Amino acid sequence: MSTKKKILLVDDDLDLLEQNKILIESKGYEVITANSGKEGFETFKKVKPDACVVDLIMEEHDSGFILCYRIKKDEHGKNIPVFILTSATYDTGFKFGASTTEEKEWIKADALLNKPVIIEEFVQKLEAFFELKK
Amino acid sequence: MTKIEIMNTYKPKVLIVDDEKGLRIGAQRLLTRENYDVTTAENGTDGIKFGTETEFDLAVIDLKMPDVDGLEVLQQIKAKYPNTVCFIATAFASYETAVEATRLGAHSYIPKPFTPEELLSNLKEGYQIRLVNLEAEKWHKEREERLLEVAFEKTRMNTIVNSITDGVLVVNRDGLAVLYNPAALRFLELPRIAVEEYILDKLRPEIFELFKKIVEEKSSEHKSYTIQIELKPNREFFIEATASAVLHPGENVAGVVIVFKDITELKKIEFVKSQFVSMVSHELKAPIAAVYGFLKLFNDDSIKLSPEQKKEYENRSMVRLDGLLKMVNDLLDISRMEMQTVHREIKRVCIHEVIASILELFQIDINKKGIHVIFDQDEYKQCIKADSDEITRLFTNLISNAIKYNREQGTITIKLSLSDDYLLTTIKDSGIGLKPEEKNKLFTEFFRAKNEKTKNISGTGLGLSIVKRIVDSYSGKIEVESDYGEGTTFKIFLPTIISN
Repeated sequence: MSTKKKILLVDDDLDLLEQNKILIESKGYEVITANSGKEGFETFKKVKPDACVVDLIMEEHDSGFILCYRIKKDEHGKNIPVFILTSATYDTGFKFGASTTEEKEWIKADALLNKPVIIEEFVQKLEAFFELKK
Repeated sequence: MTKIEIMNTYKPKVLIVDDEKGLRIGAQRLLTRENYDVTTAENGTDGIKFGTETEFDLAVIDLKMPDVDGLEVLQQIKAKYPNTVCFIATAFASYETAVEATRLGAHSYIPKPFTPEELLSNLKEGYQIRLVNLEAEKWHKEREERLLEVAFEKTRMNTIVNSITDGVLVVNRDGLAVLYNPAALRFLELPRIAVEEYILDKLRPEIFELFKKIVEEKSSEHKSYTIQIELKPNREFFIEATASAVLHPGENVAGVVIVFKDITELKKIEFVKSQFVSMVSHELKAPIAAVYGFLKLFNDDSIKLSPEQKKEYENRSMVRLDGLLKMVNDLLDISRMEMQTVHREIKRVCIHEVIASILELFQIDINKKGIHVIFDQDEYKQCIKADSDEITRLFTNLISNAIKYNREQGTITIKLSLSDDYLLTTIKDSGIGLKPEEKNKLFTEFFRAKNEKTKNISGTGLGLSIVKRIVDSYSGKIEVESDYGEGTTFKIFLPTIISN
């Protein structure tokens, strides 16, 4: 019996949330969604997913970081991959990344995913993490 | 006299002061013939009177007269007109009187008795001297005026340089400060500079580099260099320094003039602009990404969508595209307002009519939510002079918000009244209201109160920003009162240029 891996998807754009849910589900994962940083963390605590995909810019501009930080500080969260979903590098030209140790401490995301999500690339990255843990 | 002077229409004016009648008559006859303009005085008193009344070119004064001494006459005339060339005529020349007469300004002596030739040659010489003196005096005067002018120019220059708000610093080749104005101190972050002081070691390295670039420039085309320095972080104090060569005649670099400008405001605007661009692109990208995502799902053979699902996603795509279109229109409006290319047609606009027609337009949405609108358009009729499109836009945005953010079965109360010189329109809704921190950001572009209650309400985040711009452009004002969960009241004050 193969249990499906649970992915938590957090995005405040309901359309994108649904599209990505369908895409990821089509690859054989179970997807749980939340549409705010706050709701995202509550759902995380409840379902203990195998991976998280978090949109960077939600209501407040840094809420993706904050959610990511909170997940990574969690006992369960520190052992699962957290991906940050963003289009920021594309359309604003502003690059973000950790430049100081303090920031590195903060931005603990395991990978960045550019929007729109290329599902094959996502699955490949995700599976690489699951492989590593075995 | 020479021919030249006969041809000249000017007759040198001579004053003869002598108590001997024969001499006066003889001299007058002789000199008139020789083209002099002659005046005679028969005693010292008259001599002083005439000689100080008008300026004579020449004067011949008898030394011994019964009433007033010739030296006294001389002294008085000279005091008044120092350039009148005076001769003392006397039969009693003594060394002492000669010295005294010269001291008092006499040109020379004519011993009595004298021949007509002696008199004429003396006067001719005297007149030449008079002309030379006058010329010299003119030059002297001009020179003094010129000096005054230069001094005036210099202080004027200093005053101007000291008054400009840009900083100016001139440094010579050796690095000594030659000239600076008080504003420069602020830009250089120095408490003071002494003129002629070696200053290079006190300059910021970037400014020192500028100086070096100019001084070491080899080519003859002397370029200016400009740099920008952030003196205080976070765009608190940003300056621009432009250095150019001060050239000596012969194209040698004598020194460097550096002009400092405060570009803090410019940098702030630049920052706001790039922030705005980044926000706009993010806001535009979101609907495009959503529609793109749906289309991709439709095209993905590995994904099976039910017909109902497909229909729903088509509708959702339409909603997003609709929002995108609205946002682009809003952005165009804002840009037009900003560039002030809006063509305004100022005429009588009656607010109660505008509001009534907007309410009619929104009737479907109002009914759908079961909202009760309280507005009596006959209660207070008020017209102002304005562009009717803009006023309609202004109230459309506000009323649309009052509907959108209202609760089901809520109310909207609209009231018109007069407040001093303003027409006051109050639009009160029973909607979700605003948190205090949201109230401050309300008129900022792309700000939308995002919380549990607004999650499913679409909007561009530009509506109120447009409202504010329109109100500002009519020198009006807008006030917001709101308690979270209790509804919001907007008060719009528009100046009543014309009433009723």
